[in-house]
Amino acid sequence: MTKAYPFEPEEAPPEYRGIPRIDPVLCIGCGACANACPPNAILRIDDPENGTRRIVLDVGRCIRCARCEEVCPTGAVRLTAEFEAATDDRNDHVEIVELRLARCRGCGKYTCYTERQVEKVLSLIPRGILDFDRVREKLPLCSECKLKLTVLNATKFGEVEP
Amino acid sequence: MIEEFEARFGPILEKRTLGEKKALYTIMARPEDFQNMVRSLLAGQNVRLFTMVGTDERAVEDAFSITYWFADTSKGELLGVRLYVPEDKPVFPSVAQFHRGALWFEREVQDLLGVEAEGLPDRRRLILPDDWPEGVYPLREDFKYSESPPGEKRYPYARPPEGTSVHAIGPYHIALDEPAHFRLFVRGEEIVGVDYRGFYSHRGIEKLARGRLNYNQVCFIAERICGICGFCHSTAYAQAIEEAAGIEVPERAEYIRTLLLELERLHSHLLWVGVAAHLVGFDTAFMEVWRIRERVMWLAERLTGNRKTYGLVVVGGVRRDLLDYRRELVERELDVMRREFNDVVEFLLSSGGFVKRCEGVGVLSKEKARAWDACGPVARASGVDYDVRRDFPYAAYRDLSFEVPVETEGDVLARATVRIEEVRQSISLIEQILDAMPGGGILADFGDIPEGAEGISAVEAPRGENVHYILAGDRNTIYRWRVKAATYNNLQTVPDMLVGYTIADAPLIIASIDPCYSCTERVQVVDIESGKSKVVRLGVGICR
Repeated sequence: MTKAYPFEPEEAPPEYRGIPRIDPVLCIGCGACANACPPNAILRIDDPENGTRRIVLDVGRCIRCARCEEVCPTGAVRLTAEFEAATDDRNDHVEIVELRLARCRGCGKYTCYTERQVEKVLSLIPRGILDFDRVREKLPLCSECKLKLTVLNATKFGEVEP
Repeated sequence: MIEEFEARFGPILEKRTLGEKKALYTIMARPEDFQNMVRSLLAGQNVRLFTMVGTDERAVEDAFSITYWFADTSKGELLGVRLYVPEDKPVFPSVAQFHRGALWFEREVQDLLGVEAEGLPDRRRLILPDDWPEGVYPLREDFKYSESPPGEKRYPYARPPEGTSVHAIGPYHIALDEPAHFRLFVRGEEIVGVDYRGFYSHRGIEKLARGRLNYNQVCFIAERICGICGFCHSTAYAQAIEEAAGIEVPERAEYIRTLLLELERLHSHLLWVGVAAHLVGFDTAFMEVWRIRERVMWLAERLTGNRKTYGLVVVGGVRRDLLDYRRELVERELDVMRREFNDVVEFLLSSGGFVKRCEGVGVLSKEKARAWDACGPVARASGVDYDVRRDFPYAAYRDLSFEVPVETEGDVLARATVRIEEVRQSISLIEQILDAMPGGGILADFGDIPEGAEGISAVEAPRGENVHYILAGDRNTIYRWRVKAATYNNLQTVPDMLVGYTIADAPLIIASIDPCYSCTERVQVVDIESGKSKVVRLGVGICR
C-alpha cells in the first residue's frame, strides 16, 4: 500500500484533469478562456501603449474545471495529467503568453485584438461566399474607426469606400 | 400543509406557485399576522423550517424581503411566506422567540442586510467579523463587492455562570479540522454551558455570485463551498436554476448525478467513521477505514477526473458520460468495498473501547432535534424520520428503492450506526443505478433564465439537507443565491449535546455531527503578505 512517493513517480489516470497549460504557438489571445474561467485564474490584460496582450494563467487560483479547454477555439489550452503544483515561490504558478496587438488601418493605434486573431478570422472566411477583400479592408480597425466607418457607410448608403 | 394554510390565511395573501407542491405567499398588508402564520405552520407534526432568505429588493419593491420556507416532510410540500420590510423601518417580528431553529437565520439577516428581528433572544453578531463596523451591511445592493471598511475589534462573549471557568476549544485546536470557537463553561470536568462563536471562514459566496459570476460559472464555485459534499452543493444549485428556468434534465444525466451523489456519501461517511475512531484513540480502525475510502476517491478520479468529484455538474446536465469501461470499474470496486467495509465495521464495533466511548454520550433528544430543525444522520439518530431523498425526491431517487435508517437513542453511537447503515444503502443504490441506467443525452439544450424567476431545491448531502434558493436577475445573472448547508442547523444543536458531559468527550461530540464549518460559513480575500484583508479586484480582460 505505502509507496515511496516523491522518489517513485505516481501516475494520474487518463481521465484526470490536472494543471492546465497554454500552448503559446496555438494561442491567438482571444480571451475566451478568461471569460469562461469561474475563479478568474486566467486573465486577459491589454497594454494598448506598447501594443501587447498578455494571457496570464495562475495555476494557484485554478480549480481544474477544464472550462478553458472546452471553449478554446484553437485547442491551445489543454489540461495535462500533472498534479504537482507545490512550490515555495508563488510566481512559479504564473504562466504568461504575450501576443502583439494588431495596428488599426485607419488611425495607426493599437486595436483590441491581436494579429493572430486577425489571421485566424481571415483563415476562417470561406472564399467565394463573402467578399473577402472587403472584410480584409475592415478587419484591423480599432473600435473608433470602425464606428466612423459604419456611420459613414450608413450616410452614404451604397458606397463602399469611405 | 398548503391546503390548511390556504383555508386559514389564503384570502389576505398574494399567491405565487413555483411548481407542483411548491407555493409562495406574499404578505403585502398585515405583517402583524406573520407570527400567527408561522406559529400555525410550525404546529404541524411534520413541518420544519427549511430555510430563510433575506433579499434586498429595494430596486423593485422599495423594501427588503424576508422569506421563510417551510417543508412538510410527510406530504413533500414546500411553502414560503414572504414578508416585505420597509426600508425606513427595517424591523420584523422574530420567529426565534418561539422556534429556536430560526435563531441563526435571523441573526444572519440582521448582520448582512441590516433587517432587525424584534424580540430576538440573542442579538449578538453571527457572521460578520469582530472588527466589522456597525451599520455596514454587505449583502445590500449599494455595498460594493470589493469594499472592506475598517472597524474596531469587539465581541461580547457570554458571561460564564457563577463558579465556573472557561475552557476554550478553538479557533484552532487539534480536535477541530476547521476554525470554530467553542467556549465551554466547566465546573471541574463537567460542561455546564457553551458559547459558540464561528464563521471564521465566511467567504461571502452569495455576494460573489451577485457580483461577477454568470449562472453557469456559479456551479463550479458552489462546489467549493464544501470540501466533502461539493457535488451536493452544485447539484442543489443546478436543480434550483433548472426549476427556475424550466429546464428538463435528460434522464441519463440524472442517473449519473445520483451515482456520484451516492459515491460522495460513501466517501464522506467513511471519512467520518475514520475520524470518530481516531478521536477515541483507535487508530488501527481509522487507518483501515481510510484505506477503503481511498478506493472511493480513486473511483471518483476515474469517473470525474478529480478525486473529489469536482467539475461535473453544469446547469442542464453533466459533462462526462458513464462509459462502459467506467461502469466495469465501479462494479469491481463496489464488490471489494462491500466486503472490506463489513469486515472493518465488525472489527470496529467489536472493540469495547470504541463502543463504550460513544454509548450514551452527547445525547440529543427528539424534541431538541426538532426544535433546532436538525437534519441528516444527526436527526435520524434522534428518531426524526426525515430524508430529502425520500421526502422530496430529486434526480433519480424516485425510481430507486432504499431504506432510511432511523435510531432512537440520539447518542454518538446511534449517529455512527446510522452512518454505517447508510454506507450499505449507498452501495446498494449504486448497484441499482448501474442496472437501470437509461440511454440518451447528458446535457439539455436551453435558453435564457427569465428575470425574476425563483427556484428552490434541496439535496440530501451526507450530513443532511443542503438547500439552495435562486432568484434570477437580468441578463442571465443571479440576483440572490442563498445556501443553507446541513451543518447550519446541526451545529446549533451542539451546545445542547455538550452540556452534562466532560471535556474529554467534547471533541467526539463536536465531531459526531460531522461539522463542516466552511459549508456553514460560506467573501473575504486575505492578502497573505501584509496580513490585511481586502478584496482583490480582477477585471476580466481590460479591452480599450
